[in-house]
Amino acid sequence: MLFSSITFLYYFLPLVLILYFAAPKPLKNVVLLLVSLFFYAWGEPKCVFLMLGTIIFNYVFGILIEKAKTQQAKKIYLTISVIGTLSGLLYFKYAGFFVENFTAITGISAPALNIALPIGISFYTFQILSYSVDVYRGEVPAQKNIITLATYISLFPQLIAGPIVRYKDVAAQLVKRSHSFESASIGIRRFIVGLGKKVLIANTLGELCQAFYATQDTSVMFYWLFAVCFTLQIYFDFSGYSDMAIGLGKIFGFDFLENFRYPFISKSLSEFWRRWHISLGSWFRDYVYFPMGGSRVKKPKLIFNLFVVWFLTGFWHGAEWNFVLWGLFFFVFLTLEKLFLTKPLEKSKILARIYTLFFITISFMIFSGNNAQEAFSLVGGLFGAGGIPLTSAEALYQLRNYGVLVIIAIVGATPLPSKIYQYLKSKKATSFFVDIAEIIILLLILISVTAFLADGSFNPFLYFRF
Amino acid sequence: MNNRLKSIITVAVFAVFLLSVSVLCLAMPDTTHSDSERRELAQLPKVTTQKLVSGEFSKEFESYTTDQFPFRDALRSIKTLLAHKVLGKLDNNGLFTADGHISKLDAAINEPMMDHAAERFNYIYNTYLTDNNVYFSIVPDKNYVLAKANGFPAMNYESFIDKMAQKVPNMKYIDICDLLSATDYYNTDTHWRQENITDVATRLARHMGVNLTHDYTENTLDVPFYGVYAGQYAGGVVPDTIKYLTNDTINNAKVSAYNDKGMLVESSIYNLEKAKEKDPYEMFLSGTMAVVTIENPNATLKRELVLFRDSYGSSIAPLFLSGYSKITVVDTRYIQSEYLKAFVDFDGADVLFLYSTSLLNNSLAIR
Repeated sequence: MLFSSITFLYYFLPLVLILYFAAPKPLKNVVLLLVSLFFYAWGEPKCVFLMLGTIIFNYVFGILIEKAKTQQAKKIYLTISVIGTLSGLLYFKYAGFFVENFTAITGISAPALNIALPIGISFYTFQILSYSVDVYRGEVPAQKNIITLATYISLFPQLIAGPIVRYKDVAAQLVKRSHSFESASIGIRRFIVGLGKKVLIANTLGELCQAFYATQDTSVMFYWLFAVCFTLQIYFDFSGYSDMAIGLGKIFGFDFLENFRYPFISKSLSEFWRRWHISLGSWFRDYVYFPMGGSRVKKPKLIFNLFVVWFLTGFWHGAEWNFVLWGLFFFVFLTLEKLFLTKPLEKSKILARIYTLFFITISFMIFSGNNAQEAFSLVGGLFGAGGIPLTSAEALYQLRNYGVLVIIAIVGATPLPSKIYQYLKSKKATSFFVDIAEIIILLLILISVTAFLADGSFNPFLYFRF
Repeated sequence: MNNRLKSIITVAVFAVFLLSVSVLCLAMPDTTHSDSERRELAQLPKVTTQKLVSGEFSKEFESYTTDQFPFRDALRSIKTLLAHKVLGKLDNNGLFTADGHISKLDAAINEPMMDHAAERFNYIYNTYLTDNNVYFSIVPDKNYVLAKANGFPAMNYESFIDKMAQKVPNMKYIDICDLLSATDYYNTDTHWRQENITDVATRLARHMGVNLTHDYTENTLDVPFYGVYAGQYAGGVVPDTIKYLTNDTINNAKVSAYNDKGMLVESSIYNLEKAKEKDPYEMFLSGTMAVVTIENPNATLKRELVLFRDSYGSSIAPLFLSGYSKITVVDTRYIQSEYLKAFVDFDGADVLFLYSTSLLNNSLAIR
């Protein structure tokens, strides 16, 4: 079930809120678990059993890891737990890709697997892994209550599109959490802002991307317009989903960590990755990069470590070579930045920003392709490959058609609106009116979103390959 | 405002809003049809184990909740307004407005669809028409005159028509594009206005060696005509007026048609009962009919026309009547080309294939 749907907003959510707040404290997790399983089963009825199996498996191994007397036994249990958990991800997400490439390389024919990818499997697999590793490291005790652990893994706000919530970040709140009008109010605000980002901005930008794919009147200008709109679409869609997840979490008494912090104002690609999909970046940092030695190693090892992390980061996003290329694209630039570019980039903020935005845009062209060939073709189109004209009638039209929205999106991707809000809020003369206006604007956003959804407007789910 | 008070107000406002809308969703009676969109609305799906397991139930339920949402038409109008006024969009739901018209963005040429149409037309030619004079003409979509002139993406109509004409080499192409302007089409619909296309009928007939008379009386339908684009666009729309032309020849014509059971029944050139229904344009030859025969008892010469057509042909067919003793109007979207011999007499008839660019560019329905 998508957050951006009539079914979720006006059927599922009100019912869940009533059940949750009517339930006595000891039963709140049970309610959350049951509604989360229903939420997941709604679109993927069969896959719910895979998730339940993974939960039970890690519940048992979490306790075994904790209870093991020797470090070696702990390591064995952890290894089994990690291999067991990853095997689900490897089979459902990557088996088809491996078979396809094996066939292509060896020429030995193998039947296409056509395995359906369970939605959210990459997110919940990484959450479970963080739990097992943290128990192994002794950072958290193993969870003895399977309801609590299952609630953590299946919690519907962050189940299908993140953020990747670490067990240790919410362990205490899973057992005891408080609810208040203040946190519910913050949650509502965050949820509606995220909903608006997804439905009003990202989905509408997505229409331009659809028009680009369908056009017969291509040009360099249209490629660039697509690149900008796709980059903004991904940001508003993904950060919108994270906002909704964080907002819903707040309503239910959880504090999820931020997942996006204005990534497009970054002055380097390294900084971009500290602001973009923070939960994934920090996961790879803590569970892959640091255990390999991080940056406190010799240069060749450092380069190898970066290669592994960025190869995996790219591959995590989808079982296609363009995602691997996308990860390796960042590997090249982040390595260059670490070795040579840090100081030059510090010299001019403007040049640093231009450099960052330019390569972010290029990277998302690689990301947007369905395969490596398409990715190369899309990047080539930006530079006129294939002899395409500089402009075309349709590109000029679409520029006029989406110009206002692109400006709104660019401004919305900066801290400017938030700063204006904070400024007006800090002034005595305007503070009261800002509070009133805020509630009215949020209501108007919700009504606008409802209007878009009732119209059946374009409403894609972009994470089906994650 | 006190932070706690603000929080309480926020929670209260959204709790009341969410619950009220939810109650409305559950309490409002379901409707079966959307007049504005001219389509059946999704109904509450039946629960079956197979549907639940396959995920089909959830998909059908989502369509149901969207289609049956309270005050949906009003919300769709709000969405149109927001798209234009707040997001600055020039089009909405693939439609744009220009010169008082609503029109559909449709700039891409779909060559496989053209090939399909050509394959079907050539089959008909090779099977039935090798001894006939066969003509072919294309009705350009109203974007031909609206899109490019108003800065919207436009199909390369010249290229489209050239390609299509080449794909049916045994038919003589008659160009009518230069006769059409924006005023010849309804503002809210895709079709052309019968009262403005007498010159088109004259040119087509002249190329087939027939002269038409123009002693028409213009009649106005007393119901507002919200064309097919009015509902899709979902904005404030001024309805069109349908006018239809009559004269003694048309009034005295004898019309028969094969109904959906394959039975020959008496019909009419202008079906005023249809004019009161959801799509008043269907008053012309009663809309979707596979084979309609129009006989002209006033004809002095025996000369027959077989008109292969889409819905544009419904309104122009009566205008050929003064030049022919019999017109057989065929729509191969509703009859398999292989069965035509049983229903249509091609012997010695002039044959005209008259199709719109929009159908040729999306021709799968042609059988």
